[in-house]
Amino acid sequence: MSELEVAAAPSLNEPPEWLRLNGLMVIVSPLKEVVRAAVPLVVVFFAGGGAHSWGQWLSLLGVALLIARGVTHWATARYRITDDQVELRSGLFNRKTRAVPRDRIRTVDITSEWQHRLVGLSALKIGTGRQDKGKDDELVLDAITKAEAERLRTLLLTKVATTTSTAPSVVDEPAPAETELVRVDRRWTRYAPFTLSGIAVVAAAFGTVWHFANDLHLRPDDITIVRTVMDAVGTESPWLLIPGAIVVLLLIATIASVVGYILSYWNFSVTREASGTLHIRHGLLNTRSVSIEEARLRGVEVKETLPLRLVQGGRATAVVSGLRTGRGDERGGGLLLPAAPVAEAHLVAAKALREPKDPTTAPLTPHPRAALRRRLTRAVVSVLALAVVAWIGYQLDILPFWVWILFLVLTPFAAWLGYDRYRSLGHTLTNGYLVTRSGSLVRETVALRSDGIIGWRVHASYFQRRAGLATLVATTAAGRGGYHVTDAGMSQALAFADDAVPDLVAQFLERTT
Amino acid sequence: MHGLLVDVSETTGVRLRAPRHPISKKAIPYWTVRALPGWIVLLVIEVLVKVLPDDPPGAWLTVAIVVTVVLALVHLAVMPSWRYRVHRWEVTPTAVYTQSGWIDQEWRVAPLSRIQTVDTERGPFEQMFGLAKVTVTTASAAGPLHIHGLDLDVARQLVDDLTAATEASEGDAT
Repeated sequence: MSELEVAAAPSLNEPPEWLRLNGLMVIVSPLKEVVRAAVPLVVVFFAGGGAHSWGQWLSLLGVALLIARGVTHWATARYRITDDQVELRSGLFNRKTRAVPRDRIRTVDITSEWQHRLVGLSALKIGTGRQDKGKDDELVLDAITKAEAERLRTLLLTKVATTTSTAPSVVDEPAPAETELVRVDRRWTRYAPFTLSGIAVVAAAFGTVWHFANDLHLRPDDITIVRTVMDAVGTESPWLLIPGAIVVLLLIATIASVVGYILSYWNFSVTREASGTLHIRHGLLNTRSVSIEEARLRGVEVKETLPLRLVQGGRATAVVSGLRTGRGDERGGGLLLPAAPVAEAHLVAAKALREPKDPTTAPLTPHPRAALRRRLTRAVVSVLALAVVAWIGYQLDILPFWVWILFLVLTPFAAWLGYDRYRSLGHTLTNGYLVTRSGSLVRETVALRSDGIIGWRVHASYFQRRAGLATLVATTAAGRGGYHVTDAGMSQALAFADDAVPDLVAQFLERTT
Repeated sequence: MHGLLVDVSETTGVRLRAPRHPISKKAIPYWTVRALPGWIVLLVIEVLVKVLPDDPPGAWLTVAIVVTVVLALVHLAVMPSWRYRVHRWEVTPTAVYTQSGWIDQEWRVAPLSRIQTVDTERGPFEQMFGLAKVTVTTASAAGPLHIHGLDLDVARQLVDDLTAATEASEGDAT
């Protein structure tokens, strides 16, 4: 059918033919699946006891199925790029066809995990930017050669530019030059321990081990090493044990965050191509390359964790429509700069937006004193409530004595945190950007282009209304979808919304009497 | 242009006025009936725990049952009519505007030019009372506007009007 159509309407483009994914995937995808399943496999293998326990067979069967799935995917997958859309067909029993219209493509993302790199392949992810549709709007070509990936990226991203120019004008311009916005200095690795990511890694690792141990009915006491350690430290007093444990955990977290930083952000660079596309590349073992059409850039966000603020560090993220802010692997998507000196974060933010100065550095209007009272009350009352619960627990012999004392001791810190959270609050309009800031443990300052705002939400709880406060949310198709101006004065928030987007909320306002 | 236009820059205090249209009066019994099952399930569990075991738990469970009954009665008596007073909506030539909530309240504004979809939804309880919920989405994951408790006819008319208005206004949906 398609042959006929092409014959009937001869076009300049070649008739699109269905292409296969690279044949080396037959090696790569089983490798990937086995490595992914390695931890449960090894654990089950050693914990299973007898040589032919059902657990071993079950896990081996699982791995075999995973391998079969990878091979089937390669064998059945075909893709093609027509003038209008990108199509991918795959599946043996459950045949799927996914088509993405080319004018809806927002991002083209090239990733190479280390298994890919062994054989010189890359995975290409094509995103369309329906924000709330999860993975369903993504089309993934896993995997094709690096050269093919680059070719497709250029083809798919420049399509928009070529269709807007009416005639195929003479392309005599020099080869697209890339200007570098930033490159991570390896000395910035020293900021890694301040990101809290190490603590997250330790928590995740602990969670995973705990989960497996539970699944396999392993008790810590059954493992010789754990028992030896526990016996050794068990005799020490808790006053020595707790600080000791904290030091060990901090040490592990520091090492984990430094290793993580080196693995993820070695060779991190952001460049701008002549077409205006921002190109973010990073990774030591798994390289990642993210392209962001400049037209999709709606703003920037600078994040500073509390420890990072102590050393004048920060991270910068791009607020981009059509780039999901997912978890883990996906999270790096709009990253403009990992933990680095905060001045560098502001610099790359300004360069990405093509502004002389990063709008997130603009002086902010503070929020009313009532907001301070609210922050303090919330912080202190919640810790005191925990202390009371812990005290009741102690009275009922469920919790040891020191827990409620601990919460009581934490109260001044909570009060300081509440004060700091208030100090962070602020908003302003500068040069066409809405700027808002909040948070203490993670302070986030976002600058959102006013023309990227597609609606408003004004939220007021009972206590906020009594205090004359409201939380204004600017909704947008980019980034997190909504950016909060927390606990501003009701009147202040509404006037701000009216300033940011003229002729929208004014029709719903009235003077207070 | 609808509404009272206020020059914000010249005033010290402004607030959002209530949207023009109330929702259906039938929303009051609808919210009452919809809130019932949750309380009933909770009470049944509490009563079963009290009655079934040979060695029933102490007086605290009786207290819990009494507290549950009191909370349920207050919630069922107060929430539906309070919600009815708060929930309002309006469509102007340029925007959709909703007000919702009861203890916590929220106002949402979306320009017509940014609307992507207009959906109607009717759950079992809504069908019982001939009501419908209209959801207006924009390209933002954080921005859908919900109008609960509309009469079915009103909802249908609203969807038609909004669809027509959206098609008429050329806009970048993102």
